[in-house]
Amino acid sequence: MLSATETDVAASRERGAARPPMFRAMLPYVELGALVAALVVPFALAERTDLVTLATNVLILSLLAISFDLCWGLSGIMSFGQALFFGVAGYAIALVGRDLEFSEIWATLPLAMLVGLLLAGLFASFLLLGRKPPTSIFVALGTLTGSYAAERLVSGWQYVGAGNGLSSVKLLKLGSYEFVEGTAFYFLALVVLVAVYLGARFLKSSQLGLVLAGMRQNEERLAFFGYRVQLFKALVFSLAGMVAGLGGALYSYHQGFIGPGNMGPGLSTTAVLYCLLGGSGTLIGPILGTATVEVLSYVLSDVDAIKPIWPVILGIVLLAVVMFQPKGILGLVVSDRERIGSYGRRGQRR
Amino acid sequence: MGIEVKLAFDLLAFISVMVLIVLGLGIIASMMGIFNFAHGEFVLLGAYTVYLFESSGLSAWAGILAAPLVLALIGLVLERLVIRRFYAAPIIAMLGTYAIGLIIRETVRGLLGGHYKSIDEPLPGVFTLFGVDFSAWRTFIVLTTIAIVAGTWLFLSRTSVGLQVRGSLENPNLARACGISTSKLYTLTFAFGAALAGLAGALIVPLYQLSADIGTRFLVQAFLSVMLGGVGTFEGPVLGAAAVGGMAAGLPWIVIPVLADPLVFVIALVIVKLRPQGFITQGRL
Repeated sequence: MLSATETDVAASRERGAARPPMFRAMLPYVELGALVAALVVPFALAERTDLVTLATNVLILSLLAISFDLCWGLSGIMSFGQALFFGVAGYAIALVGRDLEFSEIWATLPLAMLVGLLLAGLFASFLLLGRKPPTSIFVALGTLTGSYAAERLVSGWQYVGAGNGLSSVKLLKLGSYEFVEGTAFYFLALVVLVAVYLGARFLKSSQLGLVLAGMRQNEERLAFFGYRVQLFKALVFSLAGMVAGLGGALYSYHQGFIGPGNMGPGLSTTAVLYCLLGGSGTLIGPILGTATVEVLSYVLSDVDAIKPIWPVILGIVLLAVVMFQPKGILGLVVSDRERIGSYGRRGQRR
Repeated sequence: MGIEVKLAFDLLAFISVMVLIVLGLGIIASMMGIFNFAHGEFVLLGAYTVYLFESSGLSAWAGILAAPLVLALIGLVLERLVIRRFYAAPIIAMLGTYAIGLIIRETVRGLLGGHYKSIDEPLPGVFTLFGVDFSAWRTFIVLTTIAIVAGTWLFLSRTSVGLQVRGSLENPNLARACGISTSKLYTLTFAFGAALAGLAGALIVPLYQLSADIGTRFLVQAFLSVMLGGVGTFEGPVLGAAAVGGMAAGLPWIVIPVLADPLVFVIALVIVKLRPQGFITQGRL
């Protein structure tokens, strides 16, 4: 005898009814909502230039957050040094602007990407590749050390401005048009962010993304299947460095300033907070996390009672997320299954 | 002749500071596999305890004695409430302890009001031996470090609690099966590591001015020391601390200081890469 539900299912199959959805897809709505919000913001805020600057900053820092999500959310590498690639690329384009008097967008942004890619590739080949697979602790501490050492090196190096950093970075140019802070820069950052987001989204749902998902589940088994796990990690880590480098260049142009603190563990761990708060592994989560943290800290920095304890609050938030809500804000509305993603051809997806 | 002795002594004093800081970190890392990012802030709290004692008119010596006790208590509470959730996930533990460290550091920064406070050495002055002047306080630190390392070693290798610790490290499941409460041991170990950090902070604060960042400047070096020496051993982190401390204090004499600092990290990382199991693999804790 079939039980009631089983007969129901059998009957519905016979009727040729579509299978009921296993879960409700939420991410596309979140993505769409975020995009609409991002498009509306500059018009809604056209009167307040400081808020447009803030919004641009959110977009740029989102690149850093996505870069960290590629490492942690997609390939399980805990990187405490994502700001290193961000900062070094920022310094690189600031130096090109200062010493070569050059800031054409078609050359400097690719240059920043290349700097990030190569530097991250160098780190990956040292930390990840080798005869013996490294422990995850070694990789985490290695990235932390790199970021810390770079900050110390730069803050003592006169050529790059030592502790003061490089200020009045040459403005980003397209032909004779100069991108100054404001709506134009906002849309430039938005275009870059959307392009990076689509690329990362494609990577996540591609066959490479499937391998990464398998690695997160059981790295050893993937290795037994013949995948060179560390090579995949190194590849994604390098791509993440490229994204961080792009963000660093935009940051440098937008703020007109880059300093040692922009490559240190402080900013690196802020990127961790962005990502975990929003929901790691979802790509859109880190963007929401960045927006939440940055907007709140902008609003609250006007309140005298909260300003001095804001870093303490951020610490408490990070601790609370790690302890009680490791899936982040998006974990509240997005199911585990959707966070991990679906693979294979549309229609055959299970 | 005098200058070499002086240099060697300064090197020794800095190595002692490093060993003191790394010892607690190494014991926690070996026992629970957790790299405690809040260790620098435990050092800070130890230093802050001395400052509180001194500014309220009590003797700094009382503060130095109280610091390990205060930190042991804090360690105990933190382990019970937070840290024990992270034993299964060492990477998440890094984030959790980082958050704890951030909370402590920024709170103390608020309390200090962003100022630097200097604390006088409880043993001021110098004493002269063979025509060379030695700072009394640094000598005290060196001797205390030797005493603590020896004491910890005797505790781990000669007492029954030490045997339980070594057993739980070797095989936690078997230790539990033998009726040893590993959970209680972990709590004690964490409190002990925190107490060592507190003592380190209390001892070094007269050498460096008290600021919220007094502990973080040592943190990355301390991590590398533990990795370098080998997690899971007692001698490893001590040797690692000696190596890293010696490099950090000695390299600025050989290369320009701007490069010396990052060079220490690079050398240490390369050694860890080539020898991931650490200096010491035999004779586990």
